[in-house]
Amino acid sequence: MFTLNNHYELRKITVSSLLSCIYLPSIITFISYKGLLYSVGNGSSFYILVLIFLAELLKSFYLSSTGEAVQTKKNKANKSTVSDILKSFVFLLVVLFSFFIGIILFGAPILECHEETLMLSALITLLAVFPLIAHCGVEISMQLLFGIKSYTKNTIVQMLINNALLTLCGAWLGAVVIPLDWNTPWQKWPIPCYLGAVAGYLLSNVLTVLKVSLMSAAQKYPTLEFVVNIVNSLHTPKSI
Amino acid sequence: MKEKWNYILYLIWFAYLIISAGLMFAHGFLLSRKSLSDVTECVPLSDFGCDGWEKGNLSNVCTDEEKIQRILSNPGSDIACPPARTRAVFLLVDALRYDFAEYDPRIKTPLPYQNRLPIIKETLDKWPERSRLYRFMADPPTTTFQRIKALVTGSLPTFVDASSNFAAIELHEDNIINQVTNGGGKAVLLGDDTWSRLMPGKWLRSHALYSFHTWDLDTVDAEVDTKIYDELKKNDWDILVAHYLGVDHAGHRYGPNHQEMTRKLQETNDRLQKIIEILPPDVLLYVVGDHGMTETGDHGGESKAERTAALFAYRSDGLGGDSGQRNVGIEVQQTDLAPTLSAALGRPPPAPSLGSVWLPILPKMTVLRTLLHLSNNLKQIRQYLIRYGEESQQVALDKLAHLINATREQIEKASLVETEQELNNFMNDVRGLIENIRIVFREVWVEFDSLSMLRALLLLLLAIFFNWLITEGVPMEHIPSIFASSFVSSGISAMAVCIGICYSAYHFELIEDLEHAIYLSTGLISGAITCTLVIMHWDGITQRWYEGRSLFYERFSRGALVASAAVLVSNSYIIEEGAGLSFLGLSALGLMAWNVGTIKALAVWVCCGVVLAITRSYRGCREEQGDCWTEGEGIPTGQATRAALVLALGSVAAVVAVARRHIGWRGYGIVLAGLFACAHWAVGWGSLGSPSRSRLLARGSWLVLITMFAMLWRKEGKGTILPLIACSLILYIANTLVLGVSFAPTAALALLTGFLVLNIVSMLRSSGNSKFSLSTRCSSSVACVWALFASYYFYGTGHHATLGHVRWAPAFHAGDPNYLVIGTPISAALVSLDLFGMPLMFGAAVPLLALWGRNGANNVGPRTQLAAVFLLCLKFSLCFGIRVFASALSATIHCRHLMIWGVFAPKLIFEYLTCAAALLGTIIGATLATWHTSVQQRSS
Repeated sequence: MFTLNNHYELRKITVSSLLSCIYLPSIITFISYKGLLYSVGNGSSFYILVLIFLAELLKSFYLSSTGEAVQTKKNKANKSTVSDILKSFVFLLVVLFSFFIGIILFGAPILECHEETLMLSALITLLAVFPLIAHCGVEISMQLLFGIKSYTKNTIVQMLINNALLTLCGAWLGAVVIPLDWNTPWQKWPIPCYLGAVAGYLLSNVLTVLKVSLMSAAQKYPTLEFVVNIVNSLHTPKSI
Repeated sequence: MKEKWNYILYLIWFAYLIISAGLMFAHGFLLSRKSLSDVTECVPLSDFGCDGWEKGNLSNVCTDEEKIQRILSNPGSDIACPPARTRAVFLLVDALRYDFAEYDPRIKTPLPYQNRLPIIKETLDKWPERSRLYRFMADPPTTTFQRIKALVTGSLPTFVDASSNFAAIELHEDNIINQVTNGGGKAVLLGDDTWSRLMPGKWLRSHALYSFHTWDLDTVDAEVDTKIYDELKKNDWDILVAHYLGVDHAGHRYGPNHQEMTRKLQETNDRLQKIIEILPPDVLLYVVGDHGMTETGDHGGESKAERTAALFAYRSDGLGGDSGQRNVGIEVQQTDLAPTLSAALGRPPPAPSLGSVWLPILPKMTVLRTLLHLSNNLKQIRQYLIRYGEESQQVALDKLAHLINATREQIEKASLVETEQELNNFMNDVRGLIENIRIVFREVWVEFDSLSMLRALLLLLLAIFFNWLITEGVPMEHIPSIFASSFVSSGISAMAVCIGICYSAYHFELIEDLEHAIYLSTGLISGAITCTLVIMHWDGITQRWYEGRSLFYERFSRGALVASAAVLVSNSYIIEEGAGLSFLGLSALGLMAWNVGTIKALAVWVCCGVVLAITRSYRGCREEQGDCWTEGEGIPTGQATRAALVLALGSVAAVVAVARRHIGWRGYGIVLAGLFACAHWAVGWGSLGSPSRSRLLARGSWLVLITMFAMLWRKEGKGTILPLIACSLILYIANTLVLGVSFAPTAALALLTGFLVLNIVSMLRSSGNSKFSLSTRCSSSVACVWALFASYYFYGTGHHATLGHVRWAPAFHAGDPNYLVIGTPISAALVSLDLFGMPLMFGAAVPLLALWGRNGANNVGPRTQLAAVFLLCLKFSLCFGIRVFASALSATIHCRHLMIWGVFAPKLIFEYLTCAAALLGTIIGATLATWHTSVQQRSS
């Protein structure tokens, strides 16, 4: 999936993925030790979303920080920051709302549990769409979303899109356990989907780290090239 | 165009394969029993004359003993009520296995369930005259519901008790409680509400508790404990039924090897001790387990551990029986309980009972009175044999006649018995005879025919696998030439030869079961023929698979269908299947819309989601969906509200108004039928309505619909789409009619969903030439999504896959069809249209998937067009075949599961019938498309 032609970008990807692999599990571990894991659907767990928001924001600053050469151009862009932030905020709200509607269409309770559904859609928005917007801005991410712009060239965007897709898949797969009659506390709406989304996001990051390390290892040991090829061939049909 | 009708023939052939394999499976799996509503009557001794007949002249007076002697020597006389009556306490400890009740002092470190009921051992040692402990053998299926039914009727339980009214779970057969209340006795119920649902309105007092929460160990037991000691002190009842659930629930939750089981058994011990202390001396106490449990705490199957329950009987004034029959641990059949208990209560055995009176747990009696009980028992069984032979042909006539004669002989012998020794011999003879009778009936009623189940699964697999290869493998260009060849005709003739051979073999008595032989041979020969076809086209198949690469959404929707079939092995998913199907269908459709990638497609998808969300409010719930059920949503309301009426009228009016413009002259018929339907509801609504006029209007609507359906076949040469749409609309109005006011809007929603899906499908991206677009349109993913929605709308129209949820009102909406000669088929058709109308409608609309829209198959030549329609139809049918196979497989896997009769077996039945409806619809749609295509070709 990734090309090795830009070592600088690859390093950034690896570091940011590693960061998410560290901070998300720490949050989850923390709240499960506090006994709050099963209350992630309540409004009281809003601070988790704030934490994730801050972490993703910092990560996106790290990802967008470029070499000195481009710094001047960046400064020029900074002029319209306020309106940009406003625009992205509105866009995020719209995405949040459409996730909310979408989740209800997929079978979430219509008239009750709005708080829970809202928390879930906020999480998905944060994990899947927010990094993309923070990295490339509203217009480009919209273009990416509607498939007008292809993203295969840009490694960072590719990673972000992968994260987004796997997050959605995780949330989707999380719903599978809800109907089972095990009567466990974690089967309550929206905990499986919430944790599924987090798990999907984590998995995507772990895969990114693995792939990058595999590829750099393959440069040193050509025998590993074979494995890289397999991984690539596995991945190609998915990205259509 | 030689292949034209071959397509239809092939579809019929495929439908036949699936249906016949399903029938074969059902024969092996669904055991049925004809339940008779007869009630055993008895004549009190005081109404008998001295001659042993019912009193004619009142002149001479004689004692009861003389009368009994006379009755015995009179084999033709009526059943006489036993003169002695004893009150009885019937304590049902659910899942009390025999070894729970045993006490072995030699065991040093007892397991959690061993030696926990010492009171039984103490009582047996202290008063051997007063107490008995036996192995109480249950017949499978060993689920509580079936066991209670069997215990009170004395019969063998089966899944389908085909009776005149199988809408409710209410027991329509004669049973102990019925006998007691008929004789003027009173019954009191404490505990599980299964009893009060089975036998409503029979209780003097009943404290029944909802008992579905199997994880709750204590609520029901504690509730019964608060009542039972007070009840024991009262003497206004004749039979007191108390049902304790704790042991069973402890088994389900923790298994027998757990501290909780120890606790529940010790509680039972304390309870028994207390009850025995305060029990009045003349009252009988039966402590009974209805079934055992396996080492994991489950039950439902036929293993020894599940079948062996305990029976403990106690009476302070002593019990009868000689020393040989008192031995602890003798095996007693559970069927024996009903005649024994009713004998104790002074009543004859219930009519369907197949048990014999077990004297050691009855009070001591004279020889003569014992003989009266035995002869009552024999007379009742003779009566049952005769009646069952009249009503059903399940048991071969000569066998039945032999049994009836043997029973008659025994009845005649009864008067010759005088001494205790003779009585013992006679009793053994009677028990042996009844045992034989029970074995004969058990063979018919209780045992799965695993061979025919496996054969049916094999046939289903064969049909599905090779047809899957044909639809997915053989390149589309080859299809017309294959079907123009002699493939179909040779297949049909091979089947005809098979049937001929089977028939002649049957004629010469070489084979016994004609039906099975025909299903098996035709299924196998069809498998062989399709296999040959696949081998002949192997090159093309491998070529296509090598080159072809399907898109993600295509693989996803196929995966979604397979997933929807695979989850049928889990009871939780079956219970929540409505939600699951809409989830999967919407996901697959969403990916399709994503693939299209326009705002319009997204909007259509959202609309579809909204429509599915609206149908959720009609879905209701079944009993297993605890919270929803107890909130009362599962109970259908009798009278529709005003809002429902407005919605129904509005939906029909909207559909008709929008649709009529687009289908030419057929629109008038649709409008007329819709008007009749609306008028039918409006006139029949509320207390002011006129039911008779309403029925007349419904009949008018049906008349119009049938005429319209006949006129569909008028050739016009205006293309195939219009008649297909008209056909869907006709089916839609027919559906609204049977769904009734409350559910009519769901049919409109289903139609809307279909329309939206069609639009998304017609938007599917195809690059360039029309041929490629056709292969996109005919890809199995489209058929899978369509099948998912067709299955979903079974739930979307407010149905559930349980027998209790079948609505019977549709049969009577246009008047009672039972006055007609063909009344039964008509009411069956109406009820099945109500249940499976949606799969039928979606099936009939399958050809539209290929033809709809600008880039549909309309633009290509008729040959390609027909091939495309045929392929889609076959794929759609295959989807249902796969689902039937999955549910049959899950029924086979789970045939010992706790919920087999509650969840899996009904699901299999409903899935099978849904499949049949979908196949029928597909054939109608395909025939319609073919019929109208030929015209087009001639004109062009």
